[in-house]
Amino acid sequence: MTIFAGTAGPGCTISNLVTSEAKVSGLCTAKGSLSIPVEYRSIAPVLILGVAALVLLVLSATLPKRRYPGLWAGLTALAGIATTVDGIVQWANLDNPANTALTVGGQVLYDHFSAFFAILFGCATTLGAAISDSYLSREALDGPEPYVLMLACSAGAVLMAEAAGLITLFLGLEVLSISLYTMTAYHRRRAASGEAGLKYFILGSFSSAVFIYGAALVYGATGSTQYFEIFQFLTGTVVVHDGVLLAGMALLVAGLGFKVAAVPFHFWAPDVYQGAPTPFVGYMAAVAKAAGFAGLLRALMLALPTQVSSWRPAIWVLAVASVLVGSVMALVQADLKRLLAYSSISQAGYVLIGLQAGTQAGWSAASFYLFTYLFMVVGTFAVVGLTQGRGEVRNDLGSIRGLGQRNPWLAGGMLVLLLAQAGVPLTSGFLGKWLVISAVIGKGQYELALIGMVGAAIAAFAYLRVALLMYVPAAPTPARPGQPRGEGGGEPAVAPTGPGAPSGLAEVAGDLEALATAGLGATATAVALRAPSTARLRVPRATAAAIAVCVAFTVFAGVSTPVLSLAHSIGLTWSL
Amino acid sequence: MDQYLPLLLIFALGLVFAVGSFAASRMLGPRPRLNPAKLGPFESGIAPRREPPARFPVRFYLVAMIFIIFDIEIVFLYPLAVMFNQLGLFGLVEMASFALVVFVAFAYLVSEGALDWGPGKRAGSRSGAPVTRSVSATVRRVSRPGAPTPQASPWAARGGEAAAAAGGPAASPASAAPKARVVG
Repeated sequence: MTIFAGTAGPGCTISNLVTSEAKVSGLCTAKGSLSIPVEYRSIAPVLILGVAALVLLVLSATLPKRRYPGLWAGLTALAGIATTVDGIVQWANLDNPANTALTVGGQVLYDHFSAFFAILFGCATTLGAAISDSYLSREALDGPEPYVLMLACSAGAVLMAEAAGLITLFLGLEVLSISLYTMTAYHRRRAASGEAGLKYFILGSFSSAVFIYGAALVYGATGSTQYFEIFQFLTGTVVVHDGVLLAGMALLVAGLGFKVAAVPFHFWAPDVYQGAPTPFVGYMAAVAKAAGFAGLLRALMLALPTQVSSWRPAIWVLAVASVLVGSVMALVQADLKRLLAYSSISQAGYVLIGLQAGTQAGWSAASFYLFTYLFMVVGTFAVVGLTQGRGEVRNDLGSIRGLGQRNPWLAGGMLVLLLAQAGVPLTSGFLGKWLVISAVIGKGQYELALIGMVGAAIAAFAYLRVALLMYVPAAPTPARPGQPRGEGGGEPAVAPTGPGAPSGLAEVAGDLEALATAGLGATATAVALRAPSTARLRVPRATAAAIAVCVAFTVFAGVSTPVLSLAHSIGLTWSL
Repeated sequence: MDQYLPLLLIFALGLVFAVGSFAASRMLGPRPRLNPAKLGPFESGIAPRREPPARFPVRFYLVAMIFIIFDIEIVFLYPLAVMFNQLGLFGLVEMASFALVVFVAFAYLVSEGALDWGPGKRAGSRSGAPVTRSVSATVRRVSRPGAPTPQASPWAARGGEAAAAAGGPAASPASAAPKARVVG
């Protein structure tokens, strides 16, 4: 399906990696004519998302100016579904190995990895649109713009996943990032949103600059920005003075590490997650992380597999630091969105653990982890978006208190998602953690496996705190004398006297409270125990459906194997 | 060496021009060089009457965006012009689709009112409540003295503002409720 190749001279078509000659550069010149064969099939997900964004813009420019409830979100979800379907079609088509190719002038890789991430970003777009609609109309922010940004962001993310060179990766990264900066600052009337957007923008552009400087140094060391050419150069050459190459790799890892919020580069994440509109945070946490990791995986596994002994220790440190810092910091957060931000940092650490293994098992585990994490995080932030109330007045831990009484179904869904993030068996979160840890055990890195399990145990406490708070009765219980709140850890409180059955219930509630706030400081405890209004939350239909899908998928992927086998059969186009 | 000669020449010319400009201004300019007009902003001789306002209407940014849109389009048209014969039909189609994308952005900007500079532009704003331009609607929407704010919704505030702006010259609700307008 090479289009416009007819005018090219002989030997000018670059479509199949297997048959192509050594030179896989961007342009290919022949006498008199210059043609770039474009395999539109391979960039179809990007085209679908990009064209959908344009369609939304055209509609918003031509339709009469009034509100169209659900129209923009519906179209966006439709584009997301189309992308997912296209990804599945690509996957089926790629089962014929001859189709795996380096296309569009050698800039795009058409393989299972691309298809897998096209499916992932399609799902993220659909779910993101579904949970944003009710939020945006509640906050009087609705319009086509956030959806246009969301679609552009997804297009950039797909491009990052299928990039075959650092320049295309950078292009995708910028499209993704610029959309996300704007989405972060989208809540016009909330100062925190603007502040978060500015912080994200400044730090994000700085990290993009770091990334492109790294790409420049790698180019200087190897003579190309294309993964395949870098790979070829490094397999055929022993770099004696590799200072430039090492510096370039370090800057690449730092630039992408910022996007995925790995620990030394994570400082933006809590502030941005706290300030950005809640459904966008769920979308962002899923998409920016997956895209950043897809780029990092490609760059490290395709371009630099020969340098694995150089980059593995660096990734090791990032992984350990992310897992531990993310888990420990999540313990002491009194703000729900900050807690989830630190939790997402620790989840990034697990993906890094899978990545540093540098094996097929490692990147399969990382891909599976990213795919399942998407559903967990979008669902969780959808619930937070509902409990925070109009104007995002309450994001603290106390806002979720008593949810089990007010909305049992919502609380049940949230419980499943929290347990999945904690890594409880029968959920996809357990399977993801198990896969990454078994990948490093396969490499004989038992210390890393141990750190991963310890980190999971620490983080589990933070998730269980939220889960417990949901089932603490919404009405504030009076503090009992002799038992100061927030102290004494999780020890079961001893009832001073036995005043009878009714106060026995209060006793249990008090114990739950004490357990739920164990280890928090005095202020945080007060915040966590501040009761929300006891009114039942109204759950909009689209959001409810999205949460249901997230919960169902989390359980489905945890107890059955289709997604697992999908992730297992991801092969990179070439590697050592 | 030969190939760098033009570069050197340009450099020398630039140097001569810069030094010459300074020298000429020093020789030909008015004698007391540091007068108040010279020290004023823009050296224009017109002293500013007040501090410049800190805020600019957002429409200026929209105009700037229009400039950037066409700027980017031109940036990509130059290489096409250079390579037109080699690229042939492929280049033409690609450029046309790129121009279409740019045009969509332009159409969006225009529909958002980037080129409307008259009053009453916001009367049909998307997120605004339906605006009926009558005196009674305007007076009802803004608060009466002593009464609590009628609608806490942010749209109401915008709608009232838009109605006030729209009805300004023609209906002149100012005569009916001057105090209410100030509050709105």
